[in-house]
Amino acid sequence: MIEIDTTHVWMHFWAIATAATVSAACALVGSFLVVRRLSLLGDAISHAVLPGIVLAVLAGGRPGGAGVFLGAVVAALVTVWLTNLLGTHAGLAEDAGAGVAFTTLFAIGVVLVSALASQVDIDPGCVLYGILELVPFDTVPIFGLEVPRALLAAATVLAVLVVAAALCWKELVFTAFDPAAARAAGLPVGIVSAGLLVATSLATVASFEAVGAILVVAMLAVPAAAAELLVRRFHLMLVVAVALGIAGSIVGYLAAWHFNTNAAGMIAVVLGIEYLLAALLAPGDGVVARVVSRESLRWRVACEDRLASLWRAEEGDAAALAPRTLLDRLAQARLVFGGRIVPGRAGGLTDIGREEARVIVRSHRLWEAWLGRHVALPLDHLHPPAEWIEHHLGAEVRGRIAADLEGDEGDPHGRDIPPEEFPRRAADEPTR
Amino acid sequence: MILAAADLPFPTGWIPPYNTLVVAAGVASVGFAAGVVGCFAVLRRRALAGDAAAHATLLGVGLAFLLGGGRRDLPLLLGGALSTAIAALAGLVLIGRWTRTREDAATAIVLGVSFGAGITLLSGISARGIPGSAGLEQFLLGHTAGLTAADAMILGALSLLAVALVTLFLKESTLVAFDPLFAAASGWPVTLIDYALVVLVAVMVVVGLPAAGAVLVTALVVIPPVTARQWTDRVGVMLPLAGLFGLVAALSGVAVSSAVPRMPTGPLVVIAASLLLAISLLLAPRRGGLARWLRSRRTVAAWAEGRLLEVALRLEGEGPFTREQLLAKAPGVAAERAFKRLARTAAIEPVVTRAGTHAWRLAVWGRELAAERSRRLAAWTEVLEAAREDARGHLTIDVPSPEAILGAARMKAIRESAAAARSASGPVSGGMS
Repeated sequence: MIEIDTTHVWMHFWAIATAATVSAACALVGSFLVVRRLSLLGDAISHAVLPGIVLAVLAGGRPGGAGVFLGAVVAALVTVWLTNLLGTHAGLAEDAGAGVAFTTLFAIGVVLVSALASQVDIDPGCVLYGILELVPFDTVPIFGLEVPRALLAAATVLAVLVVAAALCWKELVFTAFDPAAARAAGLPVGIVSAGLLVATSLATVASFEAVGAILVVAMLAVPAAAAELLVRRFHLMLVVAVALGIAGSIVGYLAAWHFNTNAAGMIAVVLGIEYLLAALLAPGDGVVARVVSRESLRWRVACEDRLASLWRAEEGDAAALAPRTLLDRLAQARLVFGGRIVPGRAGGLTDIGREEARVIVRSHRLWEAWLGRHVALPLDHLHPPAEWIEHHLGAEVRGRIAADLEGDEGDPHGRDIPPEEFPRRAADEPTR
Repeated sequence: MILAAADLPFPTGWIPPYNTLVVAAGVASVGFAAGVVGCFAVLRRRALAGDAAAHATLLGVGLAFLLGGGRRDLPLLLGGALSTAIAALAGLVLIGRWTRTREDAATAIVLGVSFGAGITLLSGISARGIPGSAGLEQFLLGHTAGLTAADAMILGALSLLAVALVTLFLKESTLVAFDPLFAAASGWPVTLIDYALVVLVAVMVVVGLPAAGAVLVTALVVIPPVTARQWTDRVGVMLPLAGLFGLVAALSGVAVSSAVPRMPTGPLVVIAASLLLAISLLLAPRRGGLARWLRSRRTVAAWAEGRLLEVALRLEGEGPFTREQLLAKAPGVAAERAFKRLARTAAIEPVVTRAGTHAWRLAVWGRELAAERSRRLAAWTEVLEAAREDARGHLTIDVPSPEAILGAARMKAIRESAAAARSASGPVSGGMS
C-alpha cells in the first residue's frame, strides 16, 4: 500500500514538474512574441509542427528526441515561409495567409496520424490536448532516478532558451521594441527573428507531448499578456510571466486531479483566470483601478458641484438649491457628514465648506473671464468649458490666470470672482 | 438473383442510401455558405477572430450537453456552441476595450483559454462516463458519418439562411468591407454591420462544426474566399465562386472520409480546399503563378527582340552581319531565343555576302519594326527631356554614379582620354579661357 502511495505522489510530482518546466519555457518565449505582436505566430507554429513531428517519428525518431525537434523546426519554418509566400505572391493579408498555411499543415498532420495510426504511436486526441497524466510512465534513468523523458526534453529546451536569452539579451530587447532602429544600428534583425522562430518551435515541441498543440497557444500568450498588464519593465515582465506560468501549471494540475479531468485544459483555464485577475486588478490601468478612478472623479465632481451651487445660492441664485440626482443626494449627505454643509433642510455652507466652494467658483469664473478675454466665444458658450475645468485648476494656474487678468474683478457675466484668500480687513493689511 | 440484378438499370452500389445523399447535400450547402460568408471575414481581416470563435465552440457543446441532460440533440449542441462562440467574440471586444493587451495576444488568449475550458469540460464529462458522451469528440475534428438526415437538413437550412442574409445586405457589407470610413461618413451604422458580419461568421463556424470540427473549421471559412480571390477582382463574382470552392471542398472531404475508415472529415475538407487553392495559385488568369511567369517571359522576349532589332539596324550600316556579331552586342539567353524568333518571322533574312559567307540582314518587315521602335524610343527621350527641370532632378537621383559601375580606374581612363581629345581638337576653347 505504502509503496503504491509513494509512486502516486512521485507521479504527480513528475507531472507537475513537467508542466511547470514547459510552462516556464513557453512563458519565456511568449513574452517576446507578445511584445513583438507575434502571438499568432505561436498559434500558427503550434498547429503546424504536427506534420513535422509525425514525419520525424515515421522516419524513426523517438518522441522527444532530437530528430523530432528538427522535424518540428523545419515544419515551423515551412509555415512561416508559406505565409510569406502567400503574402507576397497571392497578396494575402497576414492573418489570412497564416490561417491558410497552418490549418493546411495541421490537417496534413492529422491525416497522417489517422492514416498511419498503426505505425506512428501518436493519438490524434493527444495531439490536440496532450496527456500530461501519462508523462510519468515514460521515464529514463538519470543518476539512478527515473526521470520522465518529457521532463528531460522540456528542461533541456528551457536551459537552452534561458542561455540563449541571456546571451542575446540586448539584441532581443532592441529588436523587440524597435526593429527599424535595431536594423539601422546594424543588428542582424532577420537572424534574431529567425532565432525567435526556432525558439518558439522548440518550446512548442517540448510542450507538445504534455499539453498538446492548441493549449501551447495558451501557455505562450496568456502568462506573457497577463505579465504585460502587471508590470512595465520588460525584464520584470519575463520574471512575472514565468512565475504566472509555473503557478498556473501547479494549480491547474491539482484542480484537474481534484475534478478528474484533463490537466492541460485545466492549466489553460487557470492561466485564463490569472489573465482575468491581472486585467481586473492591474495597478494603474486595470479595470478596477480605472473604474475606481473614473468613479472617484465623478464623485469629486459631484461634491464640488454641490458646494459651488450652494455658494451661488448664497449669492442669491436660488435655482441652484435642491439636489436632483441620486449622486447629488449622496454628495450632499457626504458633505453634511464631512462638515461642509450645515445639516437640515436649509443646509447652508459651513466655514470649511465655504472655503472650498470659493476656490471652485473662483476657478470657474477665472476661466470664464480668461476665455472671454482671449477667445472670441459668445457669452452663453463660456459656461460649459468652465464647468468642466473648474475641477482641475490648481493654485498656480489660478494665480497665473489672475495675473493675466490684471486684477479684473468680475467674470464676463458680471459676477464677482471670489478672491484666492479670505478678504482681510484693511487694518490687517501690511502698510508699505 | 440474376434476374433481379438484370431488372435494375444499373448496379445497386451506385445509388447511395437516402441518408448519405441528404447528408451530402447538407454538407454541400454548409461548404457553399461558409465560402460566401467567409469572403467578408477575409476582406475585413476577421479570419483569426473566426478561429477564436471556432475554438470556443467546444465549451458550448459540452455545456449544452450537460444542460440538455445528456441528450445528443444536434440543434441543442449547436445552440450551445453558438452562444460560447459569440461569448468569445465579446471577450475579444472587451479585452480590446478594457486592457492594454493588443489584438493578436487577445486572439491567442481567447482561443487558447476557451479551447482549454472546452477540453476540460469534455474530458470531465467522458471521465464520468455520462451516457451518450462518447460522440462529443467528433466536434473536435469533424465527423459527418454520425449525421442524420434531419441534422443535415437543419445545417442546410441554416446555411441557406446565412447566404440569404449576405445577399440581402450585400451592398452594406461590401461598403463596410472596402471603405469603412466612407461608410461611416455616409451615415451607415458601421459598427453594427461589422458586429453582424462577425456574428454571421460565428454562425457559419458553428454550422460547419460537424463537417470540419472546432480546430479546423476556420479553414472552411478562410481558404475558399482566398481561392476565389485569385480568380476575380469583383465581389459579385468572388462570393459565388468562393461558395462553389467551399462546396467542392466539403463534398470531396466527406466523400474521402466515408471511404476511409477512422478518418476524421475536417482535415480532409481542409486539404481538399488547400488543393483547390494551390491549383488556383498556379493556374488563375492574371494572378496565377503560371500567368505571371508567362507574362514576365513575354516582356523579356519583347525587350530582347527590340534590342536585337536596334543593334541590327545599327550594324546594317556596314552591310550584312553575322549572328555572332549581333549577339556580341546584345548578349543573353533571351537574345538568342529572340534571334531565332526574328529569323522565323522573317524580320531578318539570310544573305550570302560577296565573300561567299552566310550572313543576315533586316528584311523590309524587320526594318519597319526597328524603325518603329527607334521612333518610340526617340519619342520617350523627347518626353523625358521635355519634363520639367525639377522632375528631371528626381529622375537623376536614382541614377548610380558611373564610378560605381565602371570602376574608378576605368572612369579615370575615360576622363583622361576625353580630356586628351578635347585638348587635341579644341585649341579655340583652350585659348578662350
